[in-house]
Amino acid sequence: MTETTHSSAPENGNGQLSLSTDAAKQLATTTKTPPQMQEITSRWLLRLLPWVQCSGGVFRVNRRLTYTLGDGRITFSNTGSEVRVIPAELTELPMLRGFDDMEVLEALAGRFTQREVAANEEIVSEGGPVDRLVLIVHGRVAKVGRGSYGDEQNLGVLADGDYLGEQTLIEGGQFEFSARAKTATTLLTLSRQDFEQLAEQAPALREHVERWRTSGDHDTNDYGEAAINMSAGHVGEAVLPGTFVDYEQSPREYELSVAQTVLRVHSRVSDLYNQPMSQLDQQLRLTVEALRERQENELINNKEFGLLHNADFSQRIRTRSGPPTPDDLDDLLSTVWKEPSFFLAHPQAIAAFGRECSKRGIYPQSSEVSGHRVPAWRGVPIFPCNKIPVSSTRTTSFLLMRTGQENQGVVGLHQTGIPDEYQPSLSVRFMSINEKAVISYLVSAYYSAAVLVPDALGVLEDVELGRNG
Amino acid sequence: MSTQPDQGPDQRLSLDTAAARNLATTTKTPPQMREISPRWLLRVLPWVDVTGGVYRVNRRLTYAVGGGRVSFSNTGSRVRVVPPSLTELPPLHGLDDDRVLDTLAGLFEQREFERGDTIVRAGRPADELVLIARGKATKLQAGRYGDRVVLGSLAGGDHAGSDQAGSDQAGSGPPAGGAVWEYTLEAGTACTVLALPWEEFHAVASQSPALREHLARYRARRAAPQNKWGEAAIVTAAGHRGETTLPGTFADYDPGPREYELSVSQTVLRVHTRVSDLYNQPMDQQEQQLRLTIQAVRESQERELVNNPDFGLLHQAHPGQRVYTRTGPPGPDDLDELLCRRKRSRFFLAHPRAIAAFHRECSARGVYPDSAEVEGSWVTAWRGVPILPCDKIPITRAGTSSILVLRTGEEDQGVVGLFQKGVPGEREPGLSVKFTGIDARAVASYQVSAYYSVAVLVPDALGVLEDVEVAR
Repeated sequence: MTETTHSSAPENGNGQLSLSTDAAKQLATTTKTPPQMQEITSRWLLRLLPWVQCSGGVFRVNRRLTYTLGDGRITFSNTGSEVRVIPAELTELPMLRGFDDMEVLEALAGRFTQREVAANEEIVSEGGPVDRLVLIVHGRVAKVGRGSYGDEQNLGVLADGDYLGEQTLIEGGQFEFSARAKTATTLLTLSRQDFEQLAEQAPALREHVERWRTSGDHDTNDYGEAAINMSAGHVGEAVLPGTFVDYEQSPREYELSVAQTVLRVHSRVSDLYNQPMSQLDQQLRLTVEALRERQENELINNKEFGLLHNADFSQRIRTRSGPPTPDDLDDLLSTVWKEPSFFLAHPQAIAAFGRECSKRGIYPQSSEVSGHRVPAWRGVPIFPCNKIPVSSTRTTSFLLMRTGQENQGVVGLHQTGIPDEYQPSLSVRFMSINEKAVISYLVSAYYSAAVLVPDALGVLEDVELGRNG
Repeated sequence: MSTQPDQGPDQRLSLDTAAARNLATTTKTPPQMREISPRWLLRVLPWVDVTGGVYRVNRRLTYAVGGGRVSFSNTGSRVRVVPPSLTELPPLHGLDDDRVLDTLAGLFEQREFERGDTIVRAGRPADELVLIARGKATKLQAGRYGDRVVLGSLAGGDHAGSDQAGSDQAGSGPPAGGAVWEYTLEAGTACTVLALPWEEFHAVASQSPALREHLARYRARRAAPQNKWGEAAIVTAAGHRGETTLPGTFADYDPGPREYELSVSQTVLRVHTRVSDLYNQPMDQQEQQLRLTIQAVRESQERELVNNPDFGLLHQAHPGQRVYTRTGPPGPDDLDELLCRRKRSRFFLAHPRAIAAFHRECSARGVYPDSAEVEGSWVTAWRGVPILPCDKIPITRAGTSSILVLRTGEEDQGVVGLFQKGVPGEREPGLSVKFTGIDARAVASYQVSAYYSVAVLVPDALGVLEDVEVAR
């Protein structure tokens, strides 16, 4: 028979015979995750940096006295296609370092003439007289020299903000290398006559340059440090040189920086809704994670102590062609050759480097660091860090550093034992409850990073990610 | 003077950090110093205690001598041999007759070659002594099946064809039996070559009894029984049957063995007593001065071990253990060539930029050398031999450097560092600090001295790859 009798079981109107899961859920406890957060990264930099206790809030890095050849990069302003050098920026040139007569600098900036150069065009040629100062506004320029048997030698790449011919502009002489544009390049040039003419009119400039020229006579070692005199390999009763080790007069001091926020929790929330998870703890956990992310971001990007800004100019190199090739990383390794600890790069930059390796048929060995397998290059691990900025034109940087105070490397600074400490160098302090019953907590993290000697940190700049090969 | 809290918008409400710092103690680093390098050479060399201050390396008697570099002087484009340096040629080794050397130097004829030109050709009569004054040349031979076989390369200061001096009678005219070149010499770069016909050489010899006698001694030395390294042979019999008379033999020693005296790096450190008396919290001023000075002395020690003209490794390498790069930059082939000349190579030593150049060559060939761990640091290894960086190896203005490879240890007949234990006032092994007094200006002086040297026990313990272009 197909005709069925109504079952005797009660019906709930949906045709269901038993209790639905929806209804059953009302009685059961849902298993919940704590709140998840996409922003959390592995924060390798914070994990790998050795943290030095900085009691007193200030960390002074004492160094041997160094006669800096102080050079930096020059920046430009442009209106339309016309480019001008910012007058105050001219003091980045070694010979004008510390010169503060703005009027003369303005006049000097006005004498520069703009020149556009096509790719592969020669800008200066080897053996040619040094008759001009060349500032590179935009573009990539290769320095080429002659080897002992007359072949071409690659002496490095210059780009935006670099300059040529500054050393000998005053003395004259010859260029010891050729410079060739690798891309279309915008230059500003200042002829030697113009410079001398201006120096005639401005005695302050002449004096400054004269002082700079005579200041180069210090006895130094290869790194520009005041020499420790000694004699070696002598026989007989030679008179020994007396010496002492001079220190920098005003060493750099790093103050602990701070990342802070005020966390607000309504007292009704934190009083009542605490099973199974404490509401306050979860709020605090996520806030601390966000604060630590911010801390890592600051350690890399802060203008004062961020590693990208704190690297010495002699320790910054440019890629040879654009994408991060094995050759570029080898060049970077030779800047921090004294026992490097690790590379740090944006994940996309690591991928771009992997592509370049594959193209050459190279498969770098990975290495193991505290239980994790990470890619490595020449035995030096490469860690990802998404805080390294990628510019709108898809360029980024690679960092390479030596760490540890005993190695004269890069160290992180913090202070443990602060009041209401929640984690090392991070405090959570009860502030108040306001009239709307909202409780406020002040969450502060104190940190900084110091580079003990300049060659502890190298930066490979101008790494292009967008080239597809 | 009343201070209202609301005087301006940027008026502070509390004490600022700059003011607070005046009460706090700043955390300080000890003085940092850029010059300090890992000093791998000092770390990996085995150090031998030289109690008497002199270390004598006894070797077996060697007949093969000379073979170093000839040097040249040039005036304009005219190149001339520096006469005393002709004694680096094996036939003339030890000759001290300046007049004869002058005459010989004047007889050389200068020739210029372009890249790819043939300097001498295999099979042609070997009637000349050839010196390379500038440039690089490749030794080529026809292989068994007619292909080109590269035997090696020569560079500035090297010579070819000197073995003909012994093969014929001095003063007896042209080469007997018509000796021929066994290889072709091809210019790898633009080359300047000086050539001396044997005919003229023998003409000089017939005039000069001194030279004639010297050549006779040279021939006798070459004829003496010797093994392939030029050591006086230890005659043995093997594979014989029956009652053959066995050869009697002995191992002859070098009668004038080389002695290494300990060299020294010294300085006098001066500290004003007022500084060292008063400013000692939290760091001992004198201790810090001493620490940095010692670091500088150790750096100087490593520099001397590499560069000292008397015992420095770059200068001590045997001419037969010097090889040139094939093309210029240091490729894997060049390092293989360097390795195959030595048993048990322990490590390479190269300037960081030379290492980068080597890495570039590897990458260009699609080769990824392994890394090896040395004392806790990871460095690149080639064929299992770690390449250690050393910034004391010079790079010339033209961008060339050298790569060293060493076998170390006394028991392996390798390279050893020399020092003396227990020198008075010893502070570290081989380094002493002595208080020398306080002068009338209240300045205390300390003499800091490091004693050291380095010895190569057997010539093949140390090899040098020269002419390494680091920036090509």
